[in-house]
Amino acid sequence: MSDRSPGSDPGLLLLISLSGGPKHGHAMLLDVAAFAGLRLGPGTLYGALSRLEEDGLVEPLPLEGRRRPYRLTDSGLAALRGRLTGLNAAVSIGLARVGNR
Amino acid sequence: MKRIVRLYPSAWRRRYGEELIDLLEEVPATPATTVDLLRGAAVMQFRALVDRVAPRLASAGGPPIPTHALQRHPTATALIAALITAPTIIFVVVSFLAYQVELPGMHAWLQPFMDGLARAPRIVDVFLLGAPFLAFLIAALPLIGLRMERVDGDLRITLAVRARTLNLIVLAVCVLVGGFLASHLLVEFLFERP
Repeated sequence: MSDRSPGSDPGLLLLISLSGGPKHGHAMLLDVAAFAGLRLGPGTLYGALSRLEEDGLVEPLPLEGRRRPYRLTDSGLAALRGRLTGLNAAVSIGLARVGNR
Repeated sequence: MKRIVRLYPSAWRRRYGEELIDLLEEVPATPATTVDLLRGAAVMQFRALVDRVAPRLASAGGPPIPTHALQRHPTATALIAALITAPTIIFVVVSFLAYQVELPGMHAWLQPFMDGLARAPRIVDVFLLGAPFLAFLIAALPLIGLRMERVDGDLRITLAVRARTLNLIVLAVCVLVGGFLASHLLVEFLFERP
């Protein structure tokens, strides 16, 4: 995962989506659109998903019909927690500074 | 749009192709989706290329990989660099002796050449000024090595620098001559132009 903002980091958005439970590709697209207001393209989605699987942060589950769900691994959960904690600290500092002006 | 999936690397298609095609049946076929798929295919092809090439370029702990054929011939490279910058070296040294040290008779001896140079095409000036920089790059090439290796799945590129006496001497001369000429031209441009 990169250190970019969540909106420009599809990998982070997918990890957040999967932290709510296993999902297949289309369900992830809908979920990301719902909580982040972003419409990921299918190429972007599967590009990020394959990278996350390669890094061991997500894993595929058995096919459900024609769809394959994915879930967060323990490493994925730890990576997500670390990243969100870092972002949270930055957001808190940013909001405090903005509030002081 | 499903045809675009064929542009993805075959290994990637075997793993994710059907899932992606299945997803394409559920999302609207817009120009943005097409662009997104093409971009995804380009990224995956690049990633596959890196995966194929990187292990061949170097394995973990291997020697630095030459980035240029000239790296195998550092001495010849240094001599070529010296040859390229030789006219500039001569020009700078003779000018220095004539105009800074003011050796007797040298000024008069050099003046016709300087007048000719003033009338010469601009390319001559460019060559005299650019030669030390070009020579610097050529002499520096054999001293630089790249090592590419995979560490925990990530591509790591390491820059290695080695020392070669002749090349370092040429580099130092290039810096001196190039720096002298550039500073001289800068001073002339800033203070001596009408």
